[in-house]
Amino acid sequence: MKPTIQMRPEGNVRDSTASRRAFLRNTSLAAGALMARGPLAWTQTMPGASLPPAEPAVRPNATLEISEIEWELAPKKEIRTTAYNGQIPGPLLRVTEGKPVSIEIVNRLDREEIVHWHGQWIPVPVDGAMEEGSPMIPAGGKTLIRFSPKPAGLHWYHTHAMANHDLKRGLYSGQFGVLHVDPASGDPGRYDQEQFIVLHDWEPYYTASDDGSMMVSYACGSVNGRMLGHGEPIRVREGERVLFQILNASATEAHWLALPGHKFQVLAMDGAPVATQATAETLRLGPAERITALVTMNTPSVWVLGEPRKDFRDAGVGVVIEYAERSGKPQEPGTEKLAWNYRIFGDAMPLARVPDLTIPLVFTSRFKGHGALDEWMINGKSWPHTDSIVLHEGLRHRLVFDNRSTDDHPVHLHRHNFELVSVGGATTSGVHKDVVIVEAGTKVAVDVLATNPGDTLFHCHQQDHMDMGFMALFRYAQVIKA
Amino acid sequence: MVCAVAAHAQGNYEIQVYGADTVAPRSTMVELHSNFTAEGHPAMDGVAATNHAEHETVEITQGINDWSEVGFYIFTSEQSGLGVEWVGDHIRPRVRVPERWRWPVGVSLSTEVGYQRAIFSPDTWTWEIRPIIDKTTGRWYFAVNPALERTWHGPDVNLGIDFSPAVKISYDFTKQITGGLEYYADYGSITNIASLHNQQQQFFPAIDLNVSPKWEINFGVGVGPTSATDHWIVKGIVGRHFDWGKKKQ
Repeated sequence: MKPTIQMRPEGNVRDSTASRRAFLRNTSLAAGALMARGPLAWTQTMPGASLPPAEPAVRPNATLEISEIEWELAPKKEIRTTAYNGQIPGPLLRVTEGKPVSIEIVNRLDREEIVHWHGQWIPVPVDGAMEEGSPMIPAGGKTLIRFSPKPAGLHWYHTHAMANHDLKRGLYSGQFGVLHVDPASGDPGRYDQEQFIVLHDWEPYYTASDDGSMMVSYACGSVNGRMLGHGEPIRVREGERVLFQILNASATEAHWLALPGHKFQVLAMDGAPVATQATAETLRLGPAERITALVTMNTPSVWVLGEPRKDFRDAGVGVVIEYAERSGKPQEPGTEKLAWNYRIFGDAMPLARVPDLTIPLVFTSRFKGHGALDEWMINGKSWPHTDSIVLHEGLRHRLVFDNRSTDDHPVHLHRHNFELVSVGGATTSGVHKDVVIVEAGTKVAVDVLATNPGDTLFHCHQQDHMDMGFMALFRYAQVIKA
Repeated sequence: MVCAVAAHAQGNYEIQVYGADTVAPRSTMVELHSNFTAEGHPAMDGVAATNHAEHETVEITQGINDWSEVGFYIFTSEQSGLGVEWVGDHIRPRVRVPERWRWPVGVSLSTEVGYQRAIFSPDTWTWEIRPIIDKTTGRWYFAVNPALERTWHGPDVNLGIDFSPAVKISYDFTKQITGGLEYYADYGSITNIASLHNQQQQFFPAIDLNVSPKWEINFGVGVGPTSATDHWIVKGIVGRHFDWGKKKQ
């Protein structure tokens, strides 16, 4: 995969049909139409199918319908949740970098919703974060958004609604799906098959954590909407090169993945090609992180690609990999060392860049009781009282994340990505991401090029942390022309 | 918990309101319960005094899985004229509703069987079943243990089933310091509730120190207002968790 990072995207389409007046008009019209003709027929996007480019008449390339569904994770293990187009994960949306697409979003729920296009450098009205100013989709309403996908790579879409203390909402639900942006230059396709792997955790509940506050745990987990052993196995042949496109769509859990007898060659993280395509025995993905990795199938047998941690694997986080003409009980991971270091994917000789501005961001928590979630703070304040961070267009901003809490935080910056500069005090370069785990008691520094004006949300991607105040808004400084 | 209603057999060996949580699998909890009766009862009818008795109890609890554990007790007593004496042993299996069932309250069921020497308790073989219900919400914690006890060997063998509830309410003043009130009682037989005079009633203002997930520290001073109850008791619990397996990451 060729590097496609362009820190100065150009020609982003500011084209959303979601002006409030038009929105209300459309919603009321749509409501009547819906009642008259029953359920909408949507543009079903099958895995691997490419979306055609948008037509001038703004006919949607795809429709996402948000509704409540019953979903079978495994036989006799049904859950009731909300999802896109009646499936978990939502449909794989495959688009081409720079080619505008329009997507209709129909909200069948009795509450307002919003869809965030995670990893995309797109304008505020279509980004899907109400804190930035993107409009919510009202209960029973619909909207049409249009944007030019950028950058290329593995990205995703998901609800950006707050869950607060409702463990059926937000990312605790099934509202997530893969958005894959193919490079405009084409995919070199140096692999034999491509597999999308989407991790999620289900049936959340509050439990006591080691640090004395409440945390969220889960009764079960899934890969591509099925618990281990209950989905279709991934069928491979000896010698094949399989490109795994892996997304951790869990609301709060970091996950590890291992495939015994095989190694992952990491090509990209969060959609961005890495400087060094190093191999790893295990992969760690914090909530919202993505990894694109190539595996050469050279150990014929039946395996489990899944959590090396037994508790999580027993809960369902895994999928069977079956070589042709092989059968038997799948061999499970479990002996692999759980080690992860972003820096091995960086430049061998880290480049020293000088930032124009340095912005310290200190993460702390406030105890609210052993039976409550901690309140989270950035520089001493919780959302909505956090101070806005000012970005200056065109400048390099060094964000220094100082995690003084006892939890890890997968922090995410909307509408931009950033380059890792240091992790735990060790310098690096060449690793571009939009989510990075800042481990408890450590510092991570990243550089952001301010190239996409507009309010930009920064938050921890753990749903419970986000709900409890771990958010801040980055604003672009206004340029006063003489 | 050793706590027969007969006034002269009161045993302050383990003074604790149980929470519904169980010890995690592949880990062990070792606790030392130290209870000093500052004002208790004198020796009577061949049963050792509780007055000025120092009771040390070692409790070892092994987690089996995410819904069960087994506890084992070694009771000792030290007092003037008797020195340090072994009192008895109990075993206590316990099961709970797993957290993954997502019940709104914690629920577990403990049963305890054991022997204690007649010089310390005329009822030498006893059995207890203890439902446990608790709830943590914000800074508040509530627990209730409506325990039922039965004597298998001893003078109370014909008294039937005793009702011995325990209740705790506490508040997190800080992350490290929790203060609250614990209540222990023995109302006598469920078919023949004892008069208030003969009931055991104890109130313990208590502090829990949450200094580390590996440690459990509880300290309290108890008042027993009825004549059947030891009047002043100082209690302390120090516990330490030991993990034997791979920690969940």
